[in-house]
Amino acid sequence: MDDVAAAPDGAQAARERGPLRLGRAEFAPEQRLVMAIVNRTPDSFYRPGVTWDVGAALDQVHAAVAEGADILDVGGVPAKPGPEVTVAEEIRRVVPFVASVRTAYPDLVISADTWRHEPARAVCEAGADLLNDTWSGWDPKVADVAAEFGAGLVCSHVGTLTPRTRPFRPFFTDVMADVADRVLGLAERARRAGVDPARIVIDPAHDFGKNTWHSLELTRRLGELTATGWPVLLSASRKDFVGETLGAPVEDRLAGTLAVTAVGAWLGARIFRAHDVRATRQALDMVGAIRGDLPPARTVRGLA
Amino acid sequence: MIVTAAICPSPPLLARELTGRAEILPELRAACAAAVGRLLAAAPDVVVIVGAGQETATWNPDDRLDLSAYAPPVSGARGKPGLALALGIGALLLDRAGYAGPRILQAVDESAPSADCLRLGRDLAAAAPRVALLAVGDGSTRRGPAAPGYLDERAVPFDDVVQQAVRDGDMAVLAGLDPDLARDLMATGRAAWQVLAGAFAGTRPATEISYAADPFGVAYLVAMLT
Repeated sequence: MDDVAAAPDGAQAARERGPLRLGRAEFAPEQRLVMAIVNRTPDSFYRPGVTWDVGAALDQVHAAVAEGADILDVGGVPAKPGPEVTVAEEIRRVVPFVASVRTAYPDLVISADTWRHEPARAVCEAGADLLNDTWSGWDPKVADVAAEFGAGLVCSHVGTLTPRTRPFRPFFTDVMADVADRVLGLAERARRAGVDPARIVIDPAHDFGKNTWHSLELTRRLGELTATGWPVLLSASRKDFVGETLGAPVEDRLAGTLAVTAVGAWLGARIFRAHDVRATRQALDMVGAIRGDLPPARTVRGLA
Repeated sequence: MIVTAAICPSPPLLARELTGRAEILPELRAACAAAVGRLLAAAPDVVVIVGAGQETATWNPDDRLDLSAYAPPVSGARGKPGLALALGIGALLLDRAGYAGPRILQAVDESAPSADCLRLGRDLAAAAPRVALLAVGDGSTRRGPAAPGYLDERAVPFDDVVQQAVRDGDMAVLAGLDPDLARDLMATGRAAWQVLAGAFAGTRPATEISYAADPFGVAYLVAMLT
């Protein structure tokens, strides 16, 4: 991992809580966006291989769009350790697929979950709008690619991890301070690299380089991150911290995921990476209505 | 004297801001808009909105429904806490028609005896040479098990009597509606209709019903009387 200067505290690292631009779309701060996960892998942790087949993956895209996804997040390499996925193989898995999705949905925001600049470049050429760099700027050239293509960039935190490794006894004096330093530092680096600040997103990256206590703490204190003004991506869907908290296997983590989603939405997160698009959309719309940002769909009770 | 009158219902859901992202009952909105349009086409000197309230009183013509009372995040311009729903809905219908002329917001005590209502109607008819009356209120609220007031077997016959009286222009039948029965049936329109009957006293206006239905268990009626 390269060095990223710790973010300066306060105003200098913050930005106005303004619109988020992704592709040709612009999203107001009050909008809560669902980022639907589509894995082009045979071995991701939830329902492994279910979209390994291209046809099945495209079907899932259609379903996600119909269920209210705002963003598609396509990944070709699982986060967990496993058989090597070369750059060429990652490109083979992801790029033609992104091109197909782009053809089918000219305006859909497409994100690519990648940490290496070669696949990042190829997928931007195929029409991706956002680079979801889950491994925290491990390859600084990813930011350069984002700048070159006018794409967005997710700046995440993984502690001391290198890509595709599991946390081993991570500890922090203050996990939120560590996260904030890292993601704000990366955001600043991205801005200096020429990435449009309105396209930069920060992500505390639950579970990545953290134990369950850390992820719960980050959820509890998410408001400190959203207060920086940078759009916050919350990626908690069916993750281990949910499972450990509830004693629930991966297929039984939806309720826990939605609880994290609701709390995160209440605390101001703006993008929610999700396996379960419809349920997430409903949870977010409910929070939006509670907050008064989104009118209910249809109100008649007591008004007739 | 009365040159024309309209009957409109007063569900809060006629306020577009209160129904969320969906428009509810567009056909009812259209019928109300058309009725108010015809009211204004008579070129009245003043439009009198009459509707049931806590007490018989005249409100400021600039007062509007306090939408926040129904939906706290929604704020309406000039919302007046305490303004009766029927008057607020009437004012909203006039606003929506673009009417900026003279108006009187007249609340009538929801439990006022019939004779008081009739007298008030006669007085209002004399307010100007050309008075248009907008009587705002609803029929029974107990038309079925799913209705807000649950089922009362007397509800449908009561509404049928009202509707037939309006269809016939028979003001005597409206004047004779039983206030206690109307209260039991949660028919908020009774007092306003009797004000209307008083305003048309001694005449049999030509009438036209453009909407009569109970999509949510409350009897809504839209009609013109001239």
